[in-house]
Amino acid sequence: MKNQQEQWWSCDGKGVAGLESGTEVSPMDNSDHGRDARETHGRDAHATSDTASGISRRAMLYGAALSTISWLAGQNSALAQLSVNPNRGVRGDTLVVIFLRGGMDGLNVVVPYREDEYFKARPSLKLAAPNSGPNADRVLDLDGNFGFNPALAPWLPLYKDGKLAVLHAVGSQDQTRSHFEAMTAMEKGLARAGTGAASGWLARFLNESKPAESSPLRAVAFSPTMPDSLRGATSAIALTSLEEFRLATDRARAEAFGSSLKRMYDVDNDAVTQAGKETLDVLETLNRLDLKSYKSSGGAAYPTSDLGNGLKQVAMLLKAEVGLEVAALDKGGWDTHVAQGASSGWMTLLLDDLAKSVRAFVDDMGPTMNRVTVVVMTEFGRRVEENAGYGTDHGRGSAMFVFGGNVDGGKVHVDWPSLATDKLEGPGDLRVTTDYRSVLSELLAKRMATSDSSGIFPGFTPNPVGVFRA
Amino acid sequence: MKLSRREALKLGLASAAAASVAGCSRMPQVAKQQLPDKIEFPTEKPNETLRLVNRVAFGATPGELDRVAKIGKQAYIDEQLRAEESEPIALTFALRRLDVTQIDASELRDLPQEEIIRQLQQAAILRAVYNPNQLMERMVDFWTNHFNVYARKENTAYRVYTDQMQVIRKHALGKFRDIIEASTKSPAMLVYLDNQVNTNRGPNENYARELMELHTLGVHGGYTQEDVKEVARCYTGWQIENRFLYPRGKFRFNTGVHDKGSKRVLGKTIPANGGDKDVERVLNILVAHPSCAKFISYKLCRYFLGDAGSALEDQVAAEFTRTDGDIKAMVTMILNSDLLLSGPPIMKRPFDFLISSLRTFATDTDGNTGIQGHLDKIGQPLYQWPMPDGYPDKTDAWTSSLLARWNYSLALTAGAIPGTKANLEDLVERMQDSTNEGFVKLTHGHIDPVGASGRLLSELRRRENLPIETGQSILHETAALCIAAPGFQWR
Repeated sequence: MKNQQEQWWSCDGKGVAGLESGTEVSPMDNSDHGRDARETHGRDAHATSDTASGISRRAMLYGAALSTISWLAGQNSALAQLSVNPNRGVRGDTLVVIFLRGGMDGLNVVVPYREDEYFKARPSLKLAAPNSGPNADRVLDLDGNFGFNPALAPWLPLYKDGKLAVLHAVGSQDQTRSHFEAMTAMEKGLARAGTGAASGWLARFLNESKPAESSPLRAVAFSPTMPDSLRGATSAIALTSLEEFRLATDRARAEAFGSSLKRMYDVDNDAVTQAGKETLDVLETLNRLDLKSYKSSGGAAYPTSDLGNGLKQVAMLLKAEVGLEVAALDKGGWDTHVAQGASSGWMTLLLDDLAKSVRAFVDDMGPTMNRVTVVVMTEFGRRVEENAGYGTDHGRGSAMFVFGGNVDGGKVHVDWPSLATDKLEGPGDLRVTTDYRSVLSELLAKRMATSDSSGIFPGFTPNPVGVFRA
Repeated sequence: MKLSRREALKLGLASAAAASVAGCSRMPQVAKQQLPDKIEFPTEKPNETLRLVNRVAFGATPGELDRVAKIGKQAYIDEQLRAEESEPIALTFALRRLDVTQIDASELRDLPQEEIIRQLQQAAILRAVYNPNQLMERMVDFWTNHFNVYARKENTAYRVYTDQMQVIRKHALGKFRDIIEASTKSPAMLVYLDNQVNTNRGPNENYARELMELHTLGVHGGYTQEDVKEVARCYTGWQIENRFLYPRGKFRFNTGVHDKGSKRVLGKTIPANGGDKDVERVLNILVAHPSCAKFISYKLCRYFLGDAGSALEDQVAAEFTRTDGDIKAMVTMILNSDLLLSGPPIMKRPFDFLISSLRTFATDTDGNTGIQGHLDKIGQPLYQWPMPDGYPDKTDAWTSSLLARWNYSLALTAGAIPGTKANLEDLVERMQDSTNEGFVKLTHGHIDPVGASGRLLSELRRRENLPIETGQSILHETAALCIAAPGFQWR
């Protein structure tokens, strides 16, 4: 035992390396035997936790690398071991919002291939119709009118399965075509920036919906700074990695400190001790999650990008049932003024990562997608006509995507405004026919148990979109 | 005193020289001056004394509990209510080194927003920690949240210091009519709540609404949507000067975009062609409205008494009416109430928690990014609450911040916060009690065997028997646990 302890101590963030060489108990054991063994350790340790030399329970609780939770053990047992309090705090779906910053060119992502104007306006950037013969640039047909950019191939099965609904000609009322203004409007849930509420729409959602028991992890932004959408929320944290959610000191001190906190907060008499216990619970849980040994389900293959890593961590939190209600992620780089590319090039790389990351997440979540909604949105679309730099300039309407077990998927939901010159807006942009707030209001009503979203989208009367099922 | 940048530069050099002559070139002087030779604790009513100091001040410095117990509750409250300017010289010098305190708002525009926000926070932290006139700092905290401005909105940041000095600090214990008038003309507020784009051609209701909802009457204060529109009309043309050769950045009443028609506010007519007198009339109507006395009373009682405040609201509202909105008279009534000591505890907001820990350990801090980073992580970066309602005062809004508080406790006691040092060894040397008992008393006022302080002490004693891990300091651990403990989260 002594020998093994030292190995546990020494493995320090290197995943299960130390454990694999342990002889008595293999925590990587997929069978119930492994779990029983862990629990036995826990009991032993608990009995002797006041002695410094015993394998203390503290070592179990605060050793970040103590990967006794085996993700290999399969969903059920991993979940059972990790569960703090299933579904705590979550009234409806967990909402995952991916914001594409820079203005995604909806027209080359969900291509209106029946429109002659599309081909005329984009001599170098155009993608080909699905039935246009052998051609690498052929779009993937969605409904006889629109087709995916080929880089979105990983999404096609989700679309056909009804787990993905596509929206088009979506946007805000912002007319400035400024990234900053348009992003601010959308993240604050407004028609346009500078017209009132300064807090974010997700923050107002969180503040208006009071779960029975609050979790310190109600909302997580996988971002170095808090996005505007979550500004003003008291229960949101911004982090770039789950490893940040830990006692920020060396391991020995964290263990001792954590177990002392546990004793001091172990009285059920007020809001602080209650919250302290919950925080310690989550800390304990998160400390047992080891990203390196996390094995996703359903053959999910996350790219190693920021978005892929972020979504993987969202999946981990969801499976750990720590009370996550909102996750906000960003993917930047969509400001394709120059050399945008068609079926290869700059935007293709972005789409490739986006498609693979979200696909991996959906695969990983499996049936749990029935209580998850993923929204992919951008601040505006781009000019219909390509520019002299083989790119596109700032426009208006763009595409939006929603994923989940309860979306009206396999459809392109659109009130198509046409690309005919006289139907365009401003300097030649796709008109916005669906206000993004209509989509989000419906999402809140149907999936997030928020019947009245007037405080979240002040002064706005939503139109029915029909993209979510209650 | 506002100086040009060039003048400030000269003064900066002069004051730095003066500081070094006076031996006050570094902040530590401030804290060390406060440390008595012997740190003693009150023998009678120690818990009430701690409560008193926690409510009137941002926590007790070492020896302060003993001093307050000796002079008595009444004398302490009176001393704090006198609100005398008695800033330690080292604090004065530290503040003078900040551009925001020396340079006019219009010239601060040259500095990046981040730099200004850093300096604004630095000034606030230094004052809250080192100003012995603690009630003033508490009132500043109160009004700063009541008249919240968001420094990250457009170009608000460089106007915030002026707002702090001319609105908040100047009138913190003065007349409500004066503070509301100062706020209503404050460029920071005009920018933050969009009144500068409120014109007769396109009225903007943002400020008018918040003026009634958050600054004077309260959301159920009896005004209608029509009143919001009418008040907005009264405020058309209230702008910030931006004409060449005029005092840019100052308040300006622009007659050209003012709505000259007559208005009707809360049942009273405001005659046509009133010009900037419209607003004077609006403020008179609002401040005289019974809802205003009630709302300001509610907020003050809540700030000092927490949930117990509701029992005193009517009395304090009557005091508002009797004294014509005298803030000091209202605060006097609240501090002298039995509820101050007997009511349920209030959870410290992140700023309360952080400042009280710095004071409790007689910490030397420069108030700079090291400590600001922790304030940010715990959840209350100053001047960065986007909504006009100020940081929440309810306990449940802050319970998610515990992990960040714990991490701060570890960092502070381990000396891992740049520019901030808790002189724990100095404290031990000066305490008569054992280290464990002394630190529990420092942070919890007394030792209650069946309460949070008792649990803390037994945990500290239990740990004494554990072998020391390499690189660990028992003293650091003890101090960290004392401020990470549940008992230290309350005031």
